[in-house]
Amino acid sequence: MKFRRSTKLLVDVPAVASGDIAFNLIVFFLVCASTQPDTGRSQILPKSEQTQQQQEPQDEHLTVDIKRTAILINGDPVKMTEIKARVKAKLAGKSRPEDRVVIVKSADDVPYHAWIEVTSQIEDAGGIITLQLEEERTVDVPQ
Amino acid sequence: MKMKRGKPKVDIPSVAMGDIAFNLLIFFVILAQSQDDSHIQWTPAKADNLKGAGYTRVTVTIDKDQKVYLNGQELSEGQLASRIESNLGDAPAGQRKVMLKAHSECTAAKFEPVIEAISQAGGELVHILEDKKNQ
Repeated sequence: MKFRRSTKLLVDVPAVASGDIAFNLIVFFLVCASTQPDTGRSQILPKSEQTQQQQEPQDEHLTVDIKRTAILINGDPVKMTEIKARVKAKLAGKSRPEDRVVIVKSADDVPYHAWIEVTSQIEDAGGIITLQLEEERTVDVPQ
Repeated sequence: MKMKRGKPKVDIPSVAMGDIAFNLLIFFVILAQSQDDSHIQWTPAKADNLKGAGYTRVTVTIDKDQKVYLNGQELSEGQLASRIESNLGDAPAGQRKVMLKAHSECTAAKFEPVIEAISQAGGELVHILEDKKNQ
């Protein structure tokens, strides 16, 4: 009797290292995902406090009013591109931090990008920003 | 002749190490997702002279629908100051950074009270913005 010799061999992919492969893949993707750095601008604001209106004279400080369509420095309308130069000129010769305070008042409908543009220019001109907020504002509380 | 019997060599099986590491990693990724804010839709405002924002434990986001989130969880403006304060704890100055990711079109009525809350909590405000040069 003649036996036929089988030449086909059963070959398995080695599964021992699949855990390590998966681990390395995850580390790779995690590293890729965390390489997008956040860039920004830090802003030092004095700690907020409630003050009575007209309690202290604000005439000495520079006041910037931001409206939806206009920007006013001490009541005078200015163009967006002129803010830095105007603030710099007004703060010239003032070295004490308390003299460099710039009060920023914004209308409710002023968008964030416009506010950032204005406050960035004030800070670049050496001003210290102080926000003046109105007390009567509605706050929506989620149900 | 007397044969000396050798000590049996016992090794910790290292075959499963990869699987253990993989499972640990999955565990920590799931844990980290509770602070994830990638699902929030917002567009950063653009500005010049930006610097790296660094690392912070506290991120406040205002999305395109003007909803406020603290570390990815929605909350009201009234709760914000106290929650930021508890997140910052007793961290010393220089380690009290609070990132503000405000949608470019959100209005002062929304973002100013948020800035005030960060200031009240003693946070060091960092506006997250996009460099104008990237346009």
